[in-house]
Amino acid sequence: MVRLRIPARSAYVAVVRLAVGSLARVEEMDEERVDQLKIAVSEACANAVLAHEELGSSEPVTVSFDREDDRLVVEVAHQGSQSDESGSQVDSQGFPSRLVMSFALIESLVDSWQYAPTPDGGMVARLELRL
Amino acid sequence: MELGLDVRKSNAHAIVDVKGEVDVYTAPKLREKLIELVSEGSYNVVVNLEGVDFLDSTGLGVLVGALKRVKAHDGSLALVCTQDKILKIFKITGLTKVFPIHSSVEEATDSPPAE
Repeated sequence: MVRLRIPARSAYVAVVRLAVGSLARVEEMDEERVDQLKIAVSEACANAVLAHEELGSSEPVTVSFDREDDRLVVEVAHQGSQSDESGSQVDSQGFPSRLVMSFALIESLVDSWQYAPTPDGGMVARLELRL
Repeated sequence: MELGLDVRKSNAHAIVDVKGEVDVYTAPKLREKLIELVSEGSYNVVVNLEGVDFLDSTGLGVLVGALKRVKAHDGSLALVCTQDKILKIFKITGLTKVFPIHSSVEEATDSPPAE
């Protein structure tokens, strides 16, 4: 397992993208799927960072990468509940909210994902991609 | 990670050439530039994404916000993008139905500006 703890600042999301890209290539994933995984993980990290900003938390966001049988599993854990952006899925003009778009991207780009509360009161996004 | 933004004018359009990665960190810079353009009276905007290596939901949100701003002035916002990996982002989120997406800046600016 590879684990990263990044400051909950948006500048560090790119660091996670670099790491996940490298790790996916170690697992010999093809470039198209590497790009897909990078987008999905970046979305999960961005959601985590924004949740921390909203909470005023200075705690780091934790990202772990692991291979489980024939799957690459990435978990992004953060404190607090999901950002208040979830309050409305579409605005008055019918445009989807950023969070709705984020979830749509994650859903479409990985094989499966879950977003669930953790025992310590935070949230964890678990993304899986078949190798 | 720097985001490159260059603005030029052509055929009554303001063209924003974007280079680099548009994510949660860099998207605010694009937002500020688009807000600045509208505040200066540029209501027909073309955002050229051909130099974009990465685009996330924050970037999409900035583009949606800019679209709303120009439409409030009866303007238009069009995109230039031929990269499949970026087009895919718009398709997944349904935004291909929202933004006119062109294959070149020339094609985008040949479209008559909204009046």
